[in-house]
Amino acid sequence: MRIIVPIKQVPETSNVKMDPVTGTVIRAGVETVVNPLDLYALEAALRLKAQHGGTVTAITMGPPPAIKALKEAVAMGCDDAVLVSDRKFGGSDTWATSYTLAQAVRKLGAYDLIIAGERATDGDTAQVGPGIASWLDIPIATYVARIGALAEGRLTLERLVEEGYQQLSVPLPALLTVVKEIAVPRLPTLRGKKAAKHCDIPVFSAENMGLDPSFLGLKGSPTKVVKIDAPKVTRGGKTVQAGDDEAVSAAVGQLIGFLEEKGLV
Amino acid sequence: MDAHARNAYSAVTPRIADAVRKIAGAKNVLVDDDKIQAYSHDETNAEKYGHMPELVVLPTKAEQVAEIVKLANREHIPITPRGAGSGLSGGAIPLFGGILLSLEKMNKIVEFDTANMVIVAEAGVVTNDLANLVQEKGLFFAGYPMSLQTCMIGGNIAENAGGGKAVKYGVTGRYITGLELVTPTGEIVWLGGKLSKDVSGYDLKQLVIGSEGTLGIVTKAIIKLIGHPTAKSDLLVLFKTARQAIDMVPIIMSKGIVPTSIEFMDQLSIITSCRYLNESLPYEEAGAMLLIEVDGTNQDQVESDLIAIGDLCEEHGAIEVYVAEDRNTMERIWNVRRNIAEAFKVYSPVQSLEDIVVPPSSIPEIIPELEVLSAKYGMKIPCYGHAGDGNLHATLVKEPSMPMETWHTAEVACLRELYQITRRLGGKISGEHGIGMKRKSYLKELADPVELKLMQGIKRAWDPNTIMNPGKIFDLADA
Repeated sequence: MRIIVPIKQVPETSNVKMDPVTGTVIRAGVETVVNPLDLYALEAALRLKAQHGGTVTAITMGPPPAIKALKEAVAMGCDDAVLVSDRKFGGSDTWATSYTLAQAVRKLGAYDLIIAGERATDGDTAQVGPGIASWLDIPIATYVARIGALAEGRLTLERLVEEGYQQLSVPLPALLTVVKEIAVPRLPTLRGKKAAKHCDIPVFSAENMGLDPSFLGLKGSPTKVVKIDAPKVTRGGKTVQAGDDEAVSAAVGQLIGFLEEKGLV
Repeated sequence: MDAHARNAYSAVTPRIADAVRKIAGAKNVLVDDDKIQAYSHDETNAEKYGHMPELVVLPTKAEQVAEIVKLANREHIPITPRGAGSGLSGGAIPLFGGILLSLEKMNKIVEFDTANMVIVAEAGVVTNDLANLVQEKGLFFAGYPMSLQTCMIGGNIAENAGGGKAVKYGVTGRYITGLELVTPTGEIVWLGGKLSKDVSGYDLKQLVIGSEGTLGIVTKAIIKLIGHPTAKSDLLVLFKTARQAIDMVPIIMSKGIVPTSIEFMDQLSIITSCRYLNESLPYEEAGAMLLIEVDGTNQDQVESDLIAIGDLCEEHGAIEVYVAEDRNTMERIWNVRRNIAEAFKVYSPVQSLEDIVVPPSSIPEIIPELEVLSAKYGMKIPCYGHAGDGNLHATLVKEPSMPMETWHTAEVACLRELYQITRRLGGKISGEHGIGMKRKSYLKELADPVELKLMQGIKRAWDPNTIMNPGKIFDLADA
């Protein structure tokens, strides 16, 4: 079984600062990490490999330092990794990104499964995974919480939906996006780290993938950011005062009334 | 309690309270029970150790502190200095009532002298804020114990606070080159200075550091800074046995690599914390774990040190070596270590958090002794802490089913035995939390009588009327 896992480098969220003028995230000098939700995709892929054999390939699109994220994926146990990197890809929206990654997957040859994280913690769109599936014209299952049996080229899955779980059977190749419930990600090991240190990571560029420049980067991105502003939080609190015992029971009554009104008790 | 001493002190009368108001301003004096309640305890068990002050004063200047101390000395009223109240030995508890002097309003940075790589701060500056401030300039206060984020520099000095990074960076005292002290007779004196060397007479500054507020009130400190490490990474190493884990410490240190931290966790600590956190590490197989941090200013050097340490651990029988090189992964593995105390609080909130210190190579001998004590007294005794410097948090945890009366007797007997074992192994009963009032009776039993006599002599010379934080470390009545 060959599994491909697209991952992303994101700013480490405890230190994120916004530019008050442009309203965008300040990325300069900010530590990056593998998108935490992608670790679940890596874990799901590595468990499937342990069960069914095969290989896991991590792939990311980004500037050259993104290689750090790929090395971490290899340290966790991925067999190899590919960096999709070119100045021409700069400024890609989810449409151009998923197009570019889909072409990179094509270049990798035959595969059985693509497993992506639910979404990235910076952009928060959850569009790139499904976008890749659309470009490749393969079945997609989002919010997968459990992966079951593999039989006759079909995989049994459970999706997390609002009312509970939806059971599906999908023919392979397919793309899944997974939620946290899927499995707790393993930690990178020293063995893995050493393998990652010596692992050769090929770079896929616009040229060596033979891509149509009009589909790439800022130019190929239909999404235009017109304006960014921070919403004002208008969460008005209400304080119920109670100075003595008598006032306390009245205040409790008010509180119960409020909770009942909201259907919370 | 020392009844003799208690009776010997005068009460804080309305006349005294007015005199204090005159010195510090009425708004900086608290006498109402509901306002002073918060100053009656620290992080030790308030029910067991707490004691109400008669008056709380929040001075804003060293001169005010000096005037208040003079008044207390003249009127024979006990005075207890206090920082953030995050101590773990009852050091800031006003055991005999009297005046509690909180330094919380003396929280200004006096001078940031980058040419001399020092910062001069008032005692009430929150250490975490100071650490963040100097980090903006690429500098580092390496003596920051990284304990509660509320702790203050004055309290760190009074306790000579330690922490997880002492293996490489030492404790608070290493970075205090000078301090302003209000003596127990109300004089203001500067000890030390912006100096790296100073042998001009006795090193009184070092005597004050760690004296738990019994020799005066530190009002300002000169803090030595170093360059901030820009790179750091962690290893989490699983071993079959505690001995294998501990035996690694000298093996690592003798290779010329000094890790920032080497934290040890025994099996009971690991299992309890991992279950509490829902952490999926293969902890069931591990008899012990080491958490090793390496830092520096060169990423490549940090990486090669990390691999060298990891290789050594594998050569010496580690079951698995995990690597954390980004903040999220580091946070995840440190969480296992940091949540041990919290995890045991969920199991049973009644505990005695200890911080015995032994020569690092004696740690494996402690572990089986703890098992014996645990069985003998019917309590859980997880053991975790700073393996690199031999400072262990062997914590006595009451079984939920044990009645409180049984616990009270068992705790005292078990602590006494634990401390005797510690002494036999060449250790001391407190490595970083201090004696305060919590361990005073044990120090009396276990310290060398000559050492105790010397300490008592110093106390008498500095504080002739025994008004400065009385009842801490030792009682003079015992002399």
